Amino acid sequence: MAGSRLETVGSIFTRTRDLIRAGVLKEKPLWFDIYNAFPPLREPVFRRPRLRYGKAKSPTQDIFYHEDQIRAKFYAAYGSGPKAFDLFNPNFKSTCQRFVEKYIELQKLGETDEEKLFVEAGKALLAEGVILRRVEKARTQQEGSQVSRKSESMGVESQTALEENPPLKEVPQAQHLESPGEESKGLSPP
Amino acid sequence: MVRSGLPAPSLRTRPRGPPASAAALRRPQALGCRDPGPACSPPPRPDRSARILSEPLKHSDFFNVKELFSVRSLFNARVHLGHKAGCRHRFMEPYIFGSRLGQDIIDLEQTATHLQLALNFTAHVAFRGGIILFVSRARQFSHLIESTARSCGEYAHTRYFKGGLLTNAPLLLGAQVRLPDLIIFLHTLNNVFEPHVAVRDAAKMSIPTVGVVDTNCNPCLITYPVPGNDDSPPAVQLFCQLFQTAVTRAKEKRRQLEALYRLQGAPGPHPADPAAPGAPSPGAQAQLGVGHSP
Repeated sequence: MAGSRLETVGSIFTRTRDLIRAGVLKEKPLWFDIYNAFPPLREPVFRRPRLRYGKAKSPTQDIFYHEDQIRAKFYAAYGSGPKAFDLFNPNFKSTCQRFVEKYIELQKLGETDEEKLFVEAGKALLAEGVILRRVEKARTQQEGSQVSRKSESMGVESQTALEENPPLKEVPQAQHLESPGEESKGLSPP
Repeated sequence: MVRSGLPAPSLRTRPRGPPASAAALRRPQALGCRDPGPACSPPPRPDRSARILSEPLKHSDFFNVKELFSVRSLFNARVHLGHKAGCRHRFMEPYIFGSRLGQDIIDLEQTATHLQLALNFTAHVAFRGGIILFVSRARQFSHLIESTARSCGEYAHTRYFKGGLLTNAPLLLGAQVRLPDLIIFLHTLNNVFEPHVAVRDAAKMSIPTVGVVDTNCNPCLITYPVPGNDDSPPAVQLFCQLFQTAVTRAKEKRRQLEALYRLQGAPGPHPADPAAPGAPSPGAQAQLGVGHSP
């Protein structure tokens, strides 16, 4: 049986069609009519993969949603959240997702101030029974009085953190140290 | 030696010599010493068989493969999850919806169209009695793919692919060997993340291929690529199930159409509606009635 083994030249269809037309291939292969009737979206021609040079970048876009900003703030403030992710359940809603939904609800009602929305959303979740523990950056609470001996920049940060804490803390004084919120931003939101 | 992919000897549709059994396959004995099963009947007349072959090509979805899956079912089987952006193959970029925090997400709308074409092609090949070979080199799914092939009466090769198996088949497998008419790749890459040799060899031997291509695969030489996840078990199970259903449906349709045409006698009457292939036409029923009356 005649055939052409040049996989880099055309597609299998063009090669077979031309061989039949030339009379070299006597019998039409089984798939020929089917390919004719239902051709693929792209002809399977060989292409040599070339590297991208200079500033050429791939056209693939990043996927971001508006809710991602809310999620980032949530994770910065509360770490990974109290409930573990159950990935087996397709309709699973994590704590962060519930928080985001509350936030958006409140936003639709007319609120504009981000800080206030954040606080209100936290309060709404607390009303439903979800306890959110704040994550402290740079272990300020544990060191306590040793904070004042640290560098000025750290002192300033801890001051602002301490100032924000009283109105925003849901759990009184039971601070357990977790890794800073920035690390948990790498978690993919639900 | 490990056996895999024993076909069911139900259809007498492989007339052109024993098929190519790959290294790990046992040569199917049922086809060598054929024992007439229930499907034993005189071969259809040439004009009738030409009609049987040409009829399905006139419909856009003769085997109704569209109903086997939906974008939602693909999503639930995690088909949209690709590899990290660093592993991305340049030629897969058109099929990628975007990149979520560094992980590529495959565009399921495109996957749905490609999958429909691929399943349709597979069904037509199976309808015409073509030999289908399932190829994969992922050890995790080796058993699943072999049992899928066995259950639909086709072949599988999930072991080490010896060089020259397709290109030098008469030497390795015997003189009168029939090569597969379609190769389905559940995994296009081998265990060292290079394209499987069978992709290039099938292109060399002018064998059409259907393949599930992940974001790190090269879809160029695959005739009907299906962009999708090939690493998650639910995704691979879904694909196996879809291909199995398509092949089984096609073979069933073929049996029904042959029986129908045999009952109808000479070609000429309008062939039955493909949506209800089981019901014989009134003409055939009248003939049967005449035959049975004392």
